[in-house]
Amino acid sequence: MTEPLVVLEGVEKHFDNFVAVQKANLTIGSGEFIAIMGPSGCGKTTTLRMLAGLDAPTKGEVRIAGKVMNDVPAHARDTPMVWQSLALFPFLNARENVEFGLKMRGINPAERRTRAMNWLERMEIAEFAERNVETLSGGQRQRVALARALVTEPKLLLLDEPLSALDAHLVIRMQSVLTRLQRELGITFVYVTHSQSEAFAMADRVVIMSKGEIAQIGTPREVYRAPKTRFVAEFVGRNNILPGTVTAHARGTATVETDQGTFKVKGDAAVGQTASVVVAADMVQIGKGENTIKATVISEEFVGSMVTVFLEAPGGAELKIQLQERALADLDIKTGKTVSLSWATKDGHLLLEEAT
Amino acid sequence: MKRRLNTYALTFRLPIIAWQTLFFVGPLVFVIAMSFFVVRNFQMVETFEFTSWEKMVTRDYVWSSYRYTILMAALAAGLASLLAFPAAWYLAFRCQPRTRQFAILLLIIPFFTSYLVRTFSWYTILAESGVLNGAFGLIGLGPYTLLNTPVGTLVGYLTLILPLVLILQTVTMANIDDRLIQAARNLGCSPARVIRTVILPAGKTGFVIAALFAFILSFGDFVAPFYLGGSNPPTLPILIIDTTKAGQQWPRAAVVAVMMMLTLFTIAFTAIMYAYRKRASR
Amino acid sequence: MTRLDLFLRVYLALIVGFIFLPIFVSLLFSFNSARFPTLPMSGFTTIWYETIFADPDFWRSAKNSLIVSACSAVIATFLGFCTAYTDYRYSFRGKSLFLAIILLPPTIPLIIIALAMLAWFSRVGMSGQVISIIVAHTVLTAPFAMAIIRLRLSQIDESLEAAAWNLGGNEWRTMREVIIPFCKPAILSSLFLTAAVSFDEFTVSWFVSGLNKTLPVHVLEIVQGTIDPQVNAIGTFVFAISITLVVTSQALIFFRLQRSAS
Repeated sequence: MTEPLVVLEGVEKHFDNFVAVQKANLTIGSGEFIAIMGPSGCGKTTTLRMLAGLDAPTKGEVRIAGKVMNDVPAHARDTPMVWQSLALFPFLNARENVEFGLKMRGINPAERRTRAMNWLERMEIAEFAERNVETLSGGQRQRVALARALVTEPKLLLLDEPLSALDAHLVIRMQSVLTRLQRELGITFVYVTHSQSEAFAMADRVVIMSKGEIAQIGTPREVYRAPKTRFVAEFVGRNNILPGTVTAHARGTATVETDQGTFKVKGDAAVGQTASVVVAADMVQIGKGENTIKATVISEEFVGSMVTVFLEAPGGAELKIQLQERALADLDIKTGKTVSLSWATKDGHLLLEEAT
Repeated sequence: MKRRLNTYALTFRLPIIAWQTLFFVGPLVFVIAMSFFVVRNFQMVETFEFTSWEKMVTRDYVWSSYRYTILMAALAAGLASLLAFPAAWYLAFRCQPRTRQFAILLLIIPFFTSYLVRTFSWYTILAESGVLNGAFGLIGLGPYTLLNTPVGTLVGYLTLILPLVLILQTVTMANIDDRLIQAARNLGCSPARVIRTVILPAGKTGFVIAALFAFILSFGDFVAPFYLGGSNPPTLPILIIDTTKAGQQWPRAAVVAVMMMLTLFTIAFTAIMYAYRKRASR
Repeated sequence: MTRLDLFLRVYLALIVGFIFLPIFVSLLFSFNSARFPTLPMSGFTTIWYETIFADPDFWRSAKNSLIVSACSAVIATFLGFCTAYTDYRYSFRGKSLFLAIILLPPTIPLIIIALAMLAWFSRVGMSGQVISIIVAHTVLTAPFAMAIIRLRLSQIDESLEAAAWNLGGNEWRTMREVIIPFCKPAILSSLFLTAAVSFDEFTVSWFVSGLNKTLPVHVLEIVQGTIDPQVNAIGTFVFAISITLVVTSQALIFFRLQRSAS
């Protein structure tokens, strides 16, 4: 069991009359790739900035390697960041940009140059070393930013939506670069993003935030299959959420009565509790099964090999089913047609509503 | 990082505050105070009396100079705004951006020439035996007396303010949202109508500010009315020079200065209110 | 529409002509052999230039002008930089007043500032010295320096300063290694522009310089006398210097940008 490298304990951040982060508790181990995700304004960037020392917590403690960092200014920490805008120094060339952190630490010019060139070679952009960074392409600038942050060999790397300005094909490439780097170096990456696909592709664990609060922490699979709050269920993946009340419970299976019917779902609950049945769109099938709903097709969304079909069930509930495009072609699904949807009890998830 | 008040932040804040207070606010406040001083036995005495105020405020020539200065400055500002408008309109809407930039660069050149020397040039151009009358003479006109008249003064003011007004108007019009103009054209407006209904309202702030600067510059200038207008009649800046250099009556000069400042403040305030006032929706 | 275009083009030419006529006349007649400029020109001569260059008074005033411009440019740029940086980075109570104090001078007529400076400097025993003109000119030109540098700072990546802190630079180091290098083109522009403005300024200089005349004050005294073609020569000389300053600063910036891009 590794000692946690980063600990946030009861951390809060207030700005004048606005609370950006409330009661955040999080531990990050050495060598972990953690993604903090959530919609705009959820507090993820503020949390990152508190790790970097750019904002000081109003309450609580931030500890890195066991040391309380609340009063340690940004420049005295070893928490280099890859910025959303990259923030490369436009008046320096690529090599000088990478050398910057070393220069601030007083490393002599010869050693700076060697180490910077090493990293530029590692990032496969050594040929651009003497070029002014403004003349490089987006992908090349990304690599300079990464090299600049990693050249000081930190234990913790912070990344603030670094891929958001890149073209789609570059994003895929950079994701594998990042994952590879993190495994090779064995250091901790804290990665902030609003993109679920980025977070799930790279992270060991994800932290979902909403309105300043941490909603759930877990591996991508855990969060995807077992969302703990309604927000997480709606934010992550494509889920069908059917709210209702628990009417019976026996042997790890609960019976939930909803406006769309009564369904059995795996989970523990007390009778009378308010709960929702959550079924991922890719767990739903056309046809009758253990739990069945009749619904009318409204629209389709085609994203390459997968299609999401949107339907409306009695009572106005919106349902989604995700299938392979070629499977859809075999079936006769047209807008306005009523079909039966079903899923296995074991594929559903019981979501208990929290008391507010 | 922002809230901690530290030596770093103060290093960048205090020098200017000290410098400007000492060398800008101080002198101006002193002028106001000086208007209450008195000159006795050729010495300026620091006191608090209204003597100097009385001496100036009761003189007819002070008030006629006051009226004349305001009138001429307003006339110059208005004339410059009118004269510049067609040229600015052309530069903003009928020119390639590169031509426009070149024109603006060209118009910045006068700012780096000596205004005094330009005025001197106009003196020789407008003189009875000067270049202009020489040209008129070649086609059998003139000679016209242009110096030592309000015409001379106006020409001087225009030399001072026209480049600035032209640049400001061009930039204002070039920055008007193109879509508004397109919309008006699509609805069938003639260029004149577009000007009346879109350009003038949309560019109101810029036009008013340009005219205001023109007014302030003309109001405070002594070179044009002195050299080209013959101080005939004198404007307020000339009064200041006379009472300071020739008369050694600094308190009286201060009175004129305070009168000028109050007037300018009122006019500037009103103009800015007008320029930035949002139209009430119909 | 082309008839309108043609008319406006001619109109624009007339306006530009009006603006440039005195400049052109001054330049032209600085080489005219007759004392009084009239058409047709009498003959070509460089005697007026020879006269001014032989006049010790001219050189003394020119020297004063150069000293004053150089010194006031440096101080004004420093003050302008501090103000621009403070405006860029900080919010604080009284910020509007702070900005007003440094940006107000251009709105006050020079003649009033001239009187105010004269009276104030006399009061504190500073009148009639080169330092008085330098101080007065910094007050007058600092707003331009502030505007130029503030404009440059508005182009900075919003995270650039924080990125430098994040990489280990404290505030002072970051100022030296990041902010100032970034602002260098603007700082240079500001130095040249404030120098040029100071070089041409005569109203406040006239009141405040006493016996230490600057070149524009020298011109003012000549102009108060008789029609003297020397003025044209001086005017052309001053214009040449100002334009050289401005063109050099723009060229420096342009070539610096070219070099860093290659």
